[in-house]
Amino acid sequence: MHCCNREKRILIHRDFPIIHWIAKAFCACRQLPFPFLSATFTPILALVLSVALFSVVPALADTPTFTVGWSVYAGWNPYFYMAKSGILKRWADKYGVVIKVQRFDYAASLDAFVGKNIDACTMTNMEALDMPAAAGVDSTALIVGDYSNGNDAVLARSNLTLAQLPGKRIMLVQKTVSEYLLERAMDLNGLGGQIPQLRLMNTSDSDLVGAFLGNQSNQVAVTWKPLVSQILAQGGDVKPLFDSSKIPGEILDLLVVRTEILNRPDGSGARFAKAITGAWYETVAQLASEGITSRAAITGSAAASGDSVASYKEQLRTTYLFSTPKSAVDFSESPMIKQKMDLVRQFCFRHQLLGQNIASVDDVAIRYPDGSVQGKNNRVRLRMDSTYMRMAEQGKL
Amino acid sequence: MPGVPVISHFSDIQGRPRRLWTQSMSWVLFLIGIFTYTQFSIIRHKENPEDRVIPSGAQIWQGIKSSVLEPAEEDDALDPGATTIQRVTHSMLWKDTVSSSRRFFIAIALLIPAILIGLHMAVFPYAEAFFLRFVLFFDKIVALSLLPILFIVFGIDEWSKIMLMVIGVGPTLMLDTYNIAKSVPREQVVKAFTLKSSNLDVAYRVILKQILPQIINSVRLNLKPLALFLFAGEMIASTDGLAYRIAIMRRHMGMDIIIPYLLWVAVLLFGIDALLRVANRRLHPWF
Repeated sequence: MHCCNREKRILIHRDFPIIHWIAKAFCACRQLPFPFLSATFTPILALVLSVALFSVVPALADTPTFTVGWSVYAGWNPYFYMAKSGILKRWADKYGVVIKVQRFDYAASLDAFVGKNIDACTMTNMEALDMPAAAGVDSTALIVGDYSNGNDAVLARSNLTLAQLPGKRIMLVQKTVSEYLLERAMDLNGLGGQIPQLRLMNTSDSDLVGAFLGNQSNQVAVTWKPLVSQILAQGGDVKPLFDSSKIPGEILDLLVVRTEILNRPDGSGARFAKAITGAWYETVAQLASEGITSRAAITGSAAASGDSVASYKEQLRTTYLFSTPKSAVDFSESPMIKQKMDLVRQFCFRHQLLGQNIASVDDVAIRYPDGSVQGKNNRVRLRMDSTYMRMAEQGKL
Repeated sequence: MPGVPVISHFSDIQGRPRRLWTQSMSWVLFLIGIFTYTQFSIIRHKENPEDRVIPSGAQIWQGIKSSVLEPAEEDDALDPGATTIQRVTHSMLWKDTVSSSRRFFIAIALLIPAILIGLHMAVFPYAEAFFLRFVLFFDKIVALSLLPILFIVFGIDEWSKIMLMVIGVGPTLMLDTYNIAKSVPREQVVKAFTLKSSNLDVAYRVILKQILPQIINSVRLNLKPLALFLFAGEMIASTDGLAYRIAIMRRHMGMDIIIPYLLWVAVLLFGIDALLRVANRRLHPWF
């Protein structure tokens, strides 16, 4: 019995000589019998060592480095092209920062942003409110990139109308812009009172198309492009009942950065903001232009999601891109944005997206470029900021 | 060197720890886990008092209260005069637990034929010829990737989720039963026949009877894959269930609800496992 154990012990030490040496040295200096560490504590020692090894690798960058997370969406794919084409690097060099662009799944990108693993992230106005802002991470919307102008749609089979939806099973990703769109559709058509009767089925976006098309008894789905296009292409009698072009400017796509980064005392955060804003408007100018540069930008952005150029162009048609800084500034400084954001924040509050225990919608307040605050003054969590877009407009970047 | 014999005692295979030692040492890792969690939570809350990623004890307590005592968001509100029991039976945790466990137990019931097929494969050569190769192959298919087909065949409601569990765990259970049954010595079969047993007598009264405790242990080991498949199904398409709630809460980082839910699921699985273990000991004291 005892001899077998010894052999095993020797095995461990032959396979991991480093552990063997460290264990031996430790025992020697504490005057302990060597087998003390070897049997019981070898796994613990190995664990401690590996943890120590990974935590000792420091970030030794001298230029400040920032990471931007993005996920696949027509209005965000240009970030991929921006990084790949070298536009971003040029702007980053100009302002003496390093900017990394990293692709995520949408939900994962939000988790990473709230967990402070990345510095800036693309998200809709709704998620900006209910993820970082509601989790107490003070965030600033740096760039208002576009709004959904038909990208999101309510689809139904066999000529159903909105009034017939109650009681029918509706497939959608719950608590996202899809549910918001559905409620707005009901509201705008005077059916707001019937919203509680809707039978929602939470369906993951990765399986929604297959599940909806696979069975004729699934009659209604709410989703976004390119899934909408896939369903319409194969669905036969599926028709769009309502889409986001009827609620322009309500589903906004933003680049959000943590406010503490913008306000870094060494100014590196502000330089980062200038660099990324400059790079963004150069990229969208290319996208919106004519000829060969535009073609490169569109091909590059389509490649970001593995879409064909035709399909990407089709998605762009239903995306209202603020292609000049002026259009974005005008939109974010108009009084209209406050009404639209109010609809969204009321929706979030109604669905407890601001937190289970938030007592009032005003506890997650929004600050606008003109300094006005929607909600409680001391609880500003989301700042719509047009400073950097304005700089781009005035050519000061 | 005083003290050294005591220390070397800890690394001794022949060591006989006292009851106090075994009891207290078995809790050390739990304590370390709780301590690390609290530490991280305190650090994050110092930075940001509203942090939702690692909720504090108070936040979790609030989350437990609202999941156990308040109806789910999609349900009607309770009248304020309701008793505690009424509150619990209308709460979202209760509702989710009921619908998830219904799926779970239907799946387990459907796994009983799988065990019997495994037994027959081991005992009857023609059954073996018919099933074995296919089951061996089918076992290696990743059930999750079949999901779109399951949706089409079984619809998007209950059956696609239940079948996901059955298809995912069934073949493994069949093969395990097959292997266990195969290891029963051949001599026993011969002896049973010389004592005038029929074919079914041998299969069910000689072989199944003595391998049943091992099969129950195999089911115990498969509880976790079952739960995984259930969760996968519920996260992809559903209107209720424990994993449905977790998927919804993830949309806005409701970790204060998710963590109690995860602990609750662990407790439930632990309970089923303990139940099977006790049943096994009672039914088969000879094992």
